[in-house]
Amino acid sequence: MAEAKTHNNSNKPRPRILIYLAIQIITHSTIVSVICFIAGIVALLLLPVLAKNTYISENALMPGSATNMLSSHDVAEANKLVKDLTDLKLRSNGSPIESRKLIAQYMLGLDAEVTYHNFYPQLNQFHPLHFFTSPDSSIISKNISCASIGINTVGIIRAPRGDGKEAIVLVTPYNPKKVVLGEALSLGVAYSVFSLLSRVTWLAKDIIWLVADSQYGEYSSVSAWLREYQAPQFHRVVVNSETCNESSTIEGNLYSGFRRAGTIAAALVVKIAEDGNHFDDSLNIYAEASNGQMPNLDLINIVNYLAVHKQHLRIKVSKMWSLLGSKWLNTLGVFWECIGQYARRLNPQWKFGIPANEYVEGTATLASSMYYQGLGVPTGPHGAFRDYQVDAITVEISPKVSPTKMNRHIDFIFRGGRLIEGVVRSINNLLEKFHQSFFLYLLTSPSKFVSVGVYMIPFALLGAPLPIVAASLYMFSSKATPQAPVASEVDFSLESWKWINSAKKVFVIHLWGVAVSLLPYFLCRIPGLTPTNNLTVWGSFAVLSLVILFSMLGYPTSVAVPSEAEKREWANLKSVTLSAIFIGLSLMSVINFATAEIGALLIVPFCLMARPLMLDIQARSMRTLLLATCNLALGFIAFPPCAFLLLKSAFDSSGGYNISDYWNWMESLWAWNSATYLYIGIVHLPCWALCIHILFHPS
Amino acid sequence: MEFCFLRILKLTMKVLVMLLLFLGNIKNSTAYFSSSSEATMHTNNWAVLVCTSRFWFNYRHMANTLSLYRTVKRLGIPDERIILMLADDMACNARNKYPAQVFNNENHRLNLYGDNVEVDYRGYEVTVENFLRVLTGRHETAVPRSKRLLSDEGSHILLYMTGHGGDEFLKFQDSEELQSHDLADAVKQMKEKGRFKELLIMVDTCQASTLFSQLQSPGVLAIGSSMKGENSYSHHLDSDVGVSVVDRFTFYTLAFFERLNIYDNASLSSLFNSYNPNLLMSTAYYRRDLYQRHLEEVPVTNFFGSVMETIHTDSAYTSLTNKNFGGAKTKTFLGQSFSSSDINSVRNSDDEDQFNNLTAEEDQHDEAGQCIFCAMDSGHLWSFILGNVSTHESVDFFVCYGLVLMLPLLVFSTWLSL
Repeated sequence: MAEAKTHNNSNKPRPRILIYLAIQIITHSTIVSVICFIAGIVALLLLPVLAKNTYISENALMPGSATNMLSSHDVAEANKLVKDLTDLKLRSNGSPIESRKLIAQYMLGLDAEVTYHNFYPQLNQFHPLHFFTSPDSSIISKNISCASIGINTVGIIRAPRGDGKEAIVLVTPYNPKKVVLGEALSLGVAYSVFSLLSRVTWLAKDIIWLVADSQYGEYSSVSAWLREYQAPQFHRVVVNSETCNESSTIEGNLYSGFRRAGTIAAALVVKIAEDGNHFDDSLNIYAEASNGQMPNLDLINIVNYLAVHKQHLRIKVSKMWSLLGSKWLNTLGVFWECIGQYARRLNPQWKFGIPANEYVEGTATLASSMYYQGLGVPTGPHGAFRDYQVDAITVEISPKVSPTKMNRHIDFIFRGGRLIEGVVRSINNLLEKFHQSFFLYLLTSPSKFVSVGVYMIPFALLGAPLPIVAASLYMFSSKATPQAPVASEVDFSLESWKWINSAKKVFVIHLWGVAVSLLPYFLCRIPGLTPTNNLTVWGSFAVLSLVILFSMLGYPTSVAVPSEAEKREWANLKSVTLSAIFIGLSLMSVINFATAEIGALLIVPFCLMARPLMLDIQARSMRTLLLATCNLALGFIAFPPCAFLLLKSAFDSSGGYNISDYWNWMESLWAWNSATYLYIGIVHLPCWALCIHILFHPS
Repeated sequence: MEFCFLRILKLTMKVLVMLLLFLGNIKNSTAYFSSSSEATMHTNNWAVLVCTSRFWFNYRHMANTLSLYRTVKRLGIPDERIILMLADDMACNARNKYPAQVFNNENHRLNLYGDNVEVDYRGYEVTVENFLRVLTGRHETAVPRSKRLLSDEGSHILLYMTGHGGDEFLKFQDSEELQSHDLADAVKQMKEKGRFKELLIMVDTCQASTLFSQLQSPGVLAIGSSMKGENSYSHHLDSDVGVSVVDRFTFYTLAFFERLNIYDNASLSSLFNSYNPNLLMSTAYYRRDLYQRHLEEVPVTNFFGSVMETIHTDSAYTSLTNKNFGGAKTKTFLGQSFSSSDINSVRNSDDEDQFNNLTAEEDQHDEAGQCIFCAMDSGHLWSFILGNVSTHESVDFFVCYGLVLMLPLLVFSTWLSL
């Protein structure tokens, strides 16, 4: 073909350079796609090396510029609250009303506006059409009894000279039915800060302290409060406290009705970890919200800065622990380090390469960051805020010793309180929404990040071969079709429209994918099914419907001597499949980049390599057999349940895998309205099925 | 009789001479409007103090400007001659721990936002447009006099600007920029309109020196806190308020002025030499190629204070043809240390020029109490007035003698009629 090209060139004027390049790339698609794919993997592995140090981008924040004002009086009061709460548990076996009353009294003592917010816990249900909309509060089953009402306690401090248009939210999840010391301590930390803020003169934003009733889960209580705050419903069933005789004993100082402050600028969820035995006091930051959305990097930066430089806490973000000990990663790290040293010898200006152990840690953190973003499930109650475009994170303080064994609560409250005070004062300085720093990033350590501009490169390299191979396959199939020497116009046009057949097939399979992903909605309605049963029903339905579909579409199973056109059909089908997966991945990369990246890693090699096994077996050479084995292995890995188990084993080294875990996992995905579920059902699964179809295509 | 006639003749001659003198003055003053202001005397001082940046974290810029406002006021420029432009109100910002107070030092000893601070342009009024309007004097008709720079060709103007700057620009309000071309153009217009005699531009921003690069007008002296490519840094952080409260350049400028009072004769060069690049963490740059005088001879109070020669008259409104005109005393107030004799000859004509101008705009002058010391300058006008006064006395004598002479005449006539 290349020769024909040169021959043509001598006669005709040279084609335009872009067209020439495109034709060259398409004709050498195999080499190009292999190079692109390998480059994509290398770029992905290079990400921890290319990570930049975080910096505080917004000038207005000025974290740590003011001295802490938290006094020992505030902390002593907070300690008293903790003591009262724990005493209450011993005295009255933890009556929820009593402890709620106690917290409200403490808040009232600070001249805060205190209200109770009653809510019905929203059960996790599959809403097939609610993937990209905010949760709707109208779906509440009517037969919820009074006992299942959750009650949040909310205290609001108005900024003395502020305009009342903005607010900062502190959230402490608290289960009044089962008081644990960690939660009581987190209340103490929040109270100490709240007490300080009630008397300072520098507040520009109102402060809301939400004691979220976590008996039905931390997330649901926070999201219920936020829903009421942001999207009030005026015609719904009023949750009346009188009808339930809940708060009749509470004195009349409380405000009735729902109280609001201004637009929420940022939210901070404060938690104290129960387990002790840590090397040092440390701080865990959880930031991932639904569909891999992240809060502004500046919020993480100020917490990181204040914790490290002012309170001397160790900061942690989640890591993929299984990667930490891996040999090959360490070897890779050493390799990058060597390259970095060599580069520095060439030019001292090049800051390339990091120490090997840092690389391993960075990769483990990056993998975990990517996994949790890709999952699309929020990692804590802060996720509820992101649904309303509010930046929020969860800070979980892990004390060196367990809170129950701690003898000096005061010191601990002091430390935590100062950190929260610093963060609140810094956010208070903010003039606009968080907007200066990144929203799209992956963390490789608490103080290092990979921005969107860098982490897009591996994905682009992984995705680039798809359209190239699709185009070359299309050219190949249309060129190779034997044409009659006197082909009429009509025949020719029919030939060029041959791909429509394949497109039809691909479309039908995608419809099947939609049906399969909607099935759990109906399965949930059937009571008394175990996850294993559910999975069995689901799987068998999927396989059955697929077989029926293929028979309807005319799967060429028993054709002894396939015609030449049918031989070429798989190329057309593959070409359309590749286009479909390319479109699917591109769309997904807009919604949740991490999902698209992980998905591309799993499906792209299989899609690119897929070719009928019959061809390889007929050839019977070493190379083709190797190719066939590779295909089978990749097909196995790309199968969603297998991919899930692989990922799970990579994260949990605890072992003990059950096939029903897959059902539970899928259930959690749809319950959290994760777009990953849609991706698996509508993009990944159909494309996998099509590739398997190509694999077993008779040629 | 002959004696008396001669006296009367002398008197008319004097009146004639005076008239001639007056006419000459008019001719002189019309001539000098068209000529350059080199010959004009320094008659008044103005200050335009601009803080161009908003937002709480730019607290220090407002503190800089207010500190300088306080300094120039202390050194004698009255409020009506200070145009103070503050782009934001830090004192009333909700984040301010000390409501309605602004400090430029963490010791909090001096509240810069006290009782008598007159802000002329505040908040969103501080724009590039308004700034250029103030400089060039092209205002809407409704703008009150207090918001106008009513300077003339005898004015020394101090223009102080602080904010965030860059290469050849200064940011206004987070939305606009003043470019060095704009500034140079405005200064040129001011020069042509005779709005200043000398102009000192002082800028405390990053890369401040670049803002002066386009200036061309003579009589302009410029000093900036940093060279091109340099940042201007804040001096210290007030951890109580939670912000930086003053910039280094302004801090050391203020430190220099705190040592001075209005009687001091420190020169501009001593101010410029007081900047230590190690302390500033930037290089203070001054541009003096457009400025004629030697910096060693120019006292800082020429710009930062209101010390100048003024001519005091006893009564405010006197018609020039009135004989009482001659009773006016000329006082020259000098802040300079050089002797008056060596410039006497120059001043003789100057004084006469000033006479007309001053009587016309006397209401704008400071009270005599603000004057520092008076030096009786006896030019020939003074001797002429003295001479005039002696003539008056002899007329009185003449009338008295006449009356006394009338008495025996009256006695003689009555004796005759009897």
